Amino acid sequence: MRVLMVALVAGFFAMGAVAKPKDETPQYKTAEAKHFTTAEGVELTPAFVDYFYAELRSELTKAKLVNEVVGEGEAVDDADAPKSLVISGTITEYKKGNVVKSALIGFGAGMRSLKMDADVVRRSDKQNLCVLHVHVKIDPRWNEKIMAKGAAHQMVKEMKKALAETSKPS
Amino acid sequence: MPLRGSLRSTTNILLVAGLTWIAWLQARADEPKPKPENTISIQLGEPVPPQKFEHPPKFWIASVTDRSGNPQPMMVMKERGGVFLDKQPAAIVKEGIEQSLKVANLLAPDAGSADLVLRVYLFHFGLAAGSGLDFFGKVEFSTMVKNAKTGESQEVKAAGTSIAKGAVRKKTMQKNVEENIEEALHDAIRNFVRGTQLKEAVAALSKGTDVVPGAAPSATDTPKPLSR
Repeated sequence: MRVLMVALVAGFFAMGAVAKPKDETPQYKTAEAKHFTTAEGVELTPAFVDYFYAELRSELTKAKLVNEVVGEGEAVDDADAPKSLVISGTITEYKKGNVVKSALIGFGAGMRSLKMDADVVRRSDKQNLCVLHVHVKIDPRWNEKIMAKGAAHQMVKEMKKALAETSKPS
Repeated sequence: MPLRGSLRSTTNILLVAGLTWIAWLQARADEPKPKPENTISIQLGEPVPPQKFEHPPKFWIASVTDRSGNPQPMMVMKERGGVFLDKQPAAIVKEGIEQSLKVANLLAPDAGSADLVLRVYLFHFGLAAGSGLDFFGKVEFSTMVKNAKTGESQEVKAAGTSIAKGAVRKKTMQKNVEENIEEALHDAIRNFVRGTQLKEAVAALSKGTDVVPGAAPSATDTPKPLSR
């Protein structure tokens, strides 16, 4: 029994050693997030767009998708341009939600919702690497900035997945 | 004996005035005051190396004007006894830009020897409204870059943001706020000294007469906050 336990623990250690290292080097050198534009009829304040921009940059840094997240309009070395991303997008729909509906009906009714589209392009040749569609829903009683936080997190998660699929050899 | 009309109204006025005075005193007592334990020092830390220019000019910062409209620019947070800055935001920004320009030897020793004179207008410095779960630091300014010889000028906008974790303990909260504003300042200065807007402005102004007259705002024009 003791031998079996030792073998089991050794097996776990061996699996850990074989597993992919956590701190692998990012595939891209820089990423520039731009302020998202709002489509006609979307009633969101410029403060929301500003906050979403900050959250998106924060999430990109956390995700370790790139070496450096640069600010909007910053110059990038020509040598780094083929390995650099530019993220831009539009907030296409925003629904304020309804507290009464949400409380009485539930099951997702009256939720506050936000839809946005984003394009990720390569800086050097402006080639579109992926198109993202994000839809987030939150309780209407919550602050809209929490929605920005959720949207930024989901966007970076989807971006990471899409870029990984793009870079896979077919 | 019933009070006469005028005496009654005088009593009422005195009562209302007294209550207002007590309320004002209470509000004043709640107003946070700067103390050494709630004062933070914002520093750029590592200077930001500016981008390389084809013909490196010498810059001189003539002034940094606070246009935030904040009546208490040194108070970055009112809640929980307040958090204060040890210096005026304008002085912090000026120091930060000067440090960064000095690293690349782009800072002129005096106004007379400068090729380009900078006038900075600060629109936001400190915390902005966030989700409530974290701290949202924001530094936003606009700079009028003026050619000292020709008098022509161009506007360059820069902004920096930072998101930091919220905190329960006051000491941790103060530390997080400090780090958050420092990061936003670093980000804004990097956005300025490495921005394509500054590159274009330097290129256009160093040509002197080649600048399109309509595109260049005059030195007396006041820049407006960034409109996204």
